[in-house]
Amino acid sequence: MVVPVRTLVAWCPDWPVVATGVPLDELVAVVHANQIVASSPSAREQGVVRGLRRRVAQARCADLQLHERDEAREARTFEPVIGTLDNITPRIEVIRPGTCAVITRGPSRYFGGDEKVAGLIREAMGTVLNGRTEVRIGVADGSFAAELAARAAQPTRLIPQGEVAEFLAPMRVAVLERPELADVLVRLGIDTLGAFAALPATDVLARFGSDGLAAHRLASGLDERPPDARHPPVDWSVSAEIDPPALQVDRVAFVARSLADEFHQRLGRAGVTCVRVAIEAETEFGEEFVRLWRHEGTLSDAAVADRVRWQLDGWLNGSAVTRPSGGISRVSLMPDELIAAKGRQLGFWGGETEVDERAARVAARLQGQLGADAVRVVERRGGRHFSERLMLVPAATVELRGRTLFDDSEQPPWPGGLPTPSPTRVVAAPRPVEVLDKAGEPVQVDGRGLLSSPPTELRNNRTRVEVAAWAGPWPIDERWWDAETHRRQARFQIVTSDGVARMLTLEGGQWWVTAVWD
Amino acid sequence: MAAVELLPSVIDPDEAIADRRARLQLVGDRVAPMALARERTLPLLDELISLFPEGLRRGSTVSVAGSGSTALALAVAAAASTAGSWVAVVGDPDLGLAAAEEAGVALQRMLVVDPEPSSWSAAVAALVGAVDIVLVAPRHRVRDAEARRLSGRLRERGSVLVCTNGRWPSGADVQLEVVESKWSGLGCGHGVLQSRRVTVNGGGRGASARPRSADMLLPGPLGRPEFVHVEAPALATQG
Repeated sequence: MVVPVRTLVAWCPDWPVVATGVPLDELVAVVHANQIVASSPSAREQGVVRGLRRRVAQARCADLQLHERDEAREARTFEPVIGTLDNITPRIEVIRPGTCAVITRGPSRYFGGDEKVAGLIREAMGTVLNGRTEVRIGVADGSFAAELAARAAQPTRLIPQGEVAEFLAPMRVAVLERPELADVLVRLGIDTLGAFAALPATDVLARFGSDGLAAHRLASGLDERPPDARHPPVDWSVSAEIDPPALQVDRVAFVARSLADEFHQRLGRAGVTCVRVAIEAETEFGEEFVRLWRHEGTLSDAAVADRVRWQLDGWLNGSAVTRPSGGISRVSLMPDELIAAKGRQLGFWGGETEVDERAARVAARLQGQLGADAVRVVERRGGRHFSERLMLVPAATVELRGRTLFDDSEQPPWPGGLPTPSPTRVVAAPRPVEVLDKAGEPVQVDGRGLLSSPPTELRNNRTRVEVAAWAGPWPIDERWWDAETHRRQARFQIVTSDGVARMLTLEGGQWWVTAVWD
Repeated sequence: MAAVELLPSVIDPDEAIADRRARLQLVGDRVAPMALARERTLPLLDELISLFPEGLRRGSTVSVAGSGSTALALAVAAAASTAGSWVAVVGDPDLGLAAAEEAGVALQRMLVVDPEPSSWSAAVAALVGAVDIVLVAPRHRVRDAEARRLSGRLRERGSVLVCTNGRWPSGADVQLEVVESKWSGLGCGHGVLQSRRVTVNGGGRGASARPRSADMLLPGPLGRPEFVHVEAPALATQG
């Protein structure tokens, strides 16, 4: 039996919170897609835990500061922390921002034992972190056990060689991070990794398939998959020259996108994927920067491109000591440790359907190309204005697969809302317009909502059209209790002689075209 | 099937075989892989069927123009969207979302993409194949070569492109134009917009070239298109 390679995992707890720059003793939480993804210890004491909805979190802790998740920021702030480890070992793998892994074989032999290395790494990371958070370190056979050891560490935990299975045995099956499998196992009465590992591997394979077998291997203290002795017969790395050398991340990120595409296509054609991807950048003066990121066949093109962007962001905006001295002239992606690609299983009923999957993929891809705000989806809110009832939010903040919108058809209509049909164009930047009566005087509405005279003509600086039919005013008096945000408007529906229906809004004596029924 | 075999004397065997073939064809169509997508059509609202002689064929381009073109474009996308297709709206941030929902577009499966004019073409090309219906409202003049390239990609990937502002260079597969429109419900100082009666003329290429015309309420009182109900002449009550 092959023992997994001895690995050290360093974990900075609550990294998404630390990355926001707010001290951990304040009440802070980070949200993504309306769910809490991380919270500070003091917020956790008040019951703000992962997976909570934003509303519920705010109800539990009224003073909670909420920050949107920004993975780029997390990666950028983590880069200087691991950058200091380059002096200890050249092979650092970022599992995710806040957690990194190191193969200890080389450094331990050099420095004299895992404990020494752990001490050095703690010291180096602690200096950079400067008290923002602690560092927990776990050393074990294989990165799965090492990460669990880091989570159980106070502040360092070394699992002696060959004792991984005993260390894992009392852990709950939920730590496998396979919710469906864990659910079934618990219902079968198997709730610890030890009990799961005690099952015969062949039976696990028969019942739970290859993914179940991988989980079983992890629970038994082995590597997720048997080591593959295949050496890459060809050079799978892809690279792109950047000319002229770039100092801005955006320019390189654009190249990274197509690079990631090419990378996956090349690997995909051979039916393989990789455990780690090495991101390498070379500057115009020949400096080389390399960092490994965890991949395991689960990252999409966009996700790899994101990591390239984060990594470059970390390098280019890092501390003066580690910053490249010139522009980036070349970026490469190299696969590390090839494994067979199994692809991702799509759900049959419910869950992810293929159309949703395709749409989610193209949304991610376009966000990479056009920016996160350029691709948006609809969310339902309340309000009287057309622009308020349904809002556009960046697609990145929402899970697109199997999406449902809150159904408000059962709800009573908003007071002050207009009846159907709604206008097909809602003008984001309303255009000013003049509304005149028969005598050519501007039409006005007085404080009691009475019209000075019926409108007969619309005029802007270029054209004039006759009013064929009109109705209004429908007054809106919003937020009258607050002098700053108080809005007082009168709305009209007007059909002109050319057959176009418009919604006009009078506010502060000025008429605006706010919507058109095209 | 078993019933057919038990009653050979009642049903003509040729007819039975034809019936089975037809049913098999139906099942085949239903489970056909995506590679055959271009041979199929997307669902359409009943009100619009007469305007599409071939149905809403996958891989085709539809250009709508005239006053009321946005409502018409939404109506074209509505039935497919309800049936589960994704719809992408490119470069049209002013589109009324409430109107889209009333027309029958499933908003949970809608992407709104706002590319810079320089990356417009690339964004549309990326969406083609990933979503079934792409609604575009180009603010620039789409060059013939650009349009041809996109058309080729559409045919290959089986999506439908709908140009909502009539700015598609000549040669869209289906060309619709709202030629007449009249609002009702609004008086002088009273009432509220209720519905718009429109006449839509159709033209196009190939099988869609035959001129045709349809009257409908676009939008109807609930926001979705409706057939025009011809009012029966009032009966004489005297005598």
